[in-house]
Amino acid sequence: MRYKNHTYHILDNSPWPIFMAFSLMLSMKSAVLFMHGFNGGSSTLLIGFLLVLLTFFCWFVDVSKESTLSGCHTYLVQRGLKIGFILFIVSELMFFVALFWAFFHSSLAPSVDLGVVWPPKGIQALNPLSVPLLNTIVLVASGVVLTWGHHAIITANKPHTTVSLLITIILAMSFTGLQFLEYIDSTFSIADSVYGSTFFMCTGFHGIHIIIGTIYLITCLYRTVYGLNTNSSHVGFDTCAWYYHFVDIVWIFMFISVYYWPYSPTLN
Amino acid sequence: MSDRPETVLQTPQFDARFPNVNQTKNCWQNFVDFHRCANARGEDFPVCVQFKKTFTSLCPIEWVDRWTDQVENGVFPTKLD
Amino acid sequence: MMNLDIAYPLQYGFQDPATPVMQGIISLHDHIFFYLIVTTVFVTWILSVIIFEFKDEFFSHKYIRHGTLIEIIWTVTPAFILISIAFPSFRLLYLMDEVIDPAVTIKVVGHQWYWSYEYSDHAWSIEFDSYMLPTSDLELGQFRLLEVDNRMVVPMDTHVRLIITSSDVIHSWAVPSLGIKLDAIPGRLNQTSMIINREGVFFGQCSEICGVQHGFMPIVVESVKMDNYISWVNNMLDEA
Repeated sequence: MRYKNHTYHILDNSPWPIFMAFSLMLSMKSAVLFMHGFNGGSSTLLIGFLLVLLTFFCWFVDVSKESTLSGCHTYLVQRGLKIGFILFIVSELMFFVALFWAFFHSSLAPSVDLGVVWPPKGIQALNPLSVPLLNTIVLVASGVVLTWGHHAIITANKPHTTVSLLITIILAMSFTGLQFLEYIDSTFSIADSVYGSTFFMCTGFHGIHIIIGTIYLITCLYRTVYGLNTNSSHVGFDTCAWYYHFVDIVWIFMFISVYYWPYSPTLN
Repeated sequence: MSDRPETVLQTPQFDARFPNVNQTKNCWQNFVDFHRCANARGEDFPVCVQFKKTFTSLCPIEWVDRWTDQVENGVFPTKLD
Repeated sequence: MMNLDIAYPLQYGFQDPATPVMQGIISLHDHIFFYLIVTTVFVTWILSVIIFEFKDEFFSHKYIRHGTLIEIIWTVTPAFILISIAFPSFRLLYLMDEVIDPAVTIKVVGHQWYWSYEYSDHAWSIEFDSYMLPTSDLELGQFRLLEVDNRMVVPMDTHVRLIITSSDVIHSWAVPSLGIKLDAIPGRLNQTSMIINREGVFFGQCSEICGVQHGFMPIVVESVKMDNYISWVNNMLDEA
């Protein structure tokens, strides 16, 4: 390795950024083709999406190598990575602000076409005290278990870390499964007025984030089992926990404002 | 035409409940009020006539036709009694 | 006397105002332009001085880091300029919003791609569509892409309330001489008012891109004396 007299990490040349750019462009363009019903739009979209995933995988493998094998991730570099991830979460927060904005814009002063009531007439809102409450409990529990895992990893307790991550992943998957069943059972669709649109945009994007968080947790579990996370160096675990807790908090707000607040048992 | 009443300039005046550029609720509220009034006192009651004049002046004809259809078919989303 | 109620080629100024609101807009424009010219000349002068006076001694002020007095001056002065621009602006904005004592309500509905007008203050509604006249149908002296088959007729010197909406996509009802440009939004009724202070024919165009024929749905407002307006209304009521 080249000699360096500083603690910064000067990156080697990498094909992944440009590869990612092209994969994303392919995904976006084929998504447009797909949505407009062009021939082959769906298969091109699939290829683009798989290429994005492949690039992600290769890129992260490289980062993992730089961290574990080359020792490039000094404390200073770790700090930079964490600040970067916090900025990413802030941008995610603004994304959800936009979705909540759409929801409150439509629900706080419902338009006259909906009869100035929310939920609109004919929409049978889901009972928040049924599956959504269970989902809240499942998510909060998974957050608690993940914190247990965090404590385990800084006290270098590998069995506890592994088990807690496993439980978190199972709870996260239960959440996705319950949401899936709830979607199947719901009597309204994304096309049923602005209620359906905002409901499925909000909960759907939250669900996608939970799925991404689950994949992230699985990656963390893998890296823990193979000893790539240590008690002193586990940036991947930290950021994963932040991300998962963030998605958790978003759900709490979503449960309160999208499920609980508009629901009235007498209207249904 | 002989059955046409003499044309006078008369239009709904400023309503302090709706001080903004957006007058959607002004039109809608008068439509709802007219039907509630008509159900309670009959269409020819003076107050009801006033409600009707107001929403007729403010609401696009297309909207009034659509809402009236909904009222007749019992699918108007708001209670009118 | 001829009034400029229509755009001419390469125009960069306003059309002649026909409402107090448009007169207000032109006054505000002139007011702001005064500050704009003063600021532009001053800043250009300062920049020129810096460039030409100090072109051979780049580092003569290398150790100046701050100067409280000059910083206060260049913060407070622009603040005062902004305030003196903002106040007349807000005054005009809130005057434009006033619809206190209207005598006539006219509903304007945008469609792809024509306007329709509804007068519903009377025993029954007057309702008509206003399509652009195709170039082949124009007579000498008529304006290409601006004339319509049915004009919107309004009484002069009268407070008219406009309710503007759309039946499909967003349009925008705009007539420069009247100082009105208001979006027509489906599912929403936007209200504005006008008092046209002279007779005339005023031309405008849809001002929110609304599809392929966005440029071919002009607006024509014909302002007439009150007697003529009443007889026009009577004719329309009889025809309806």
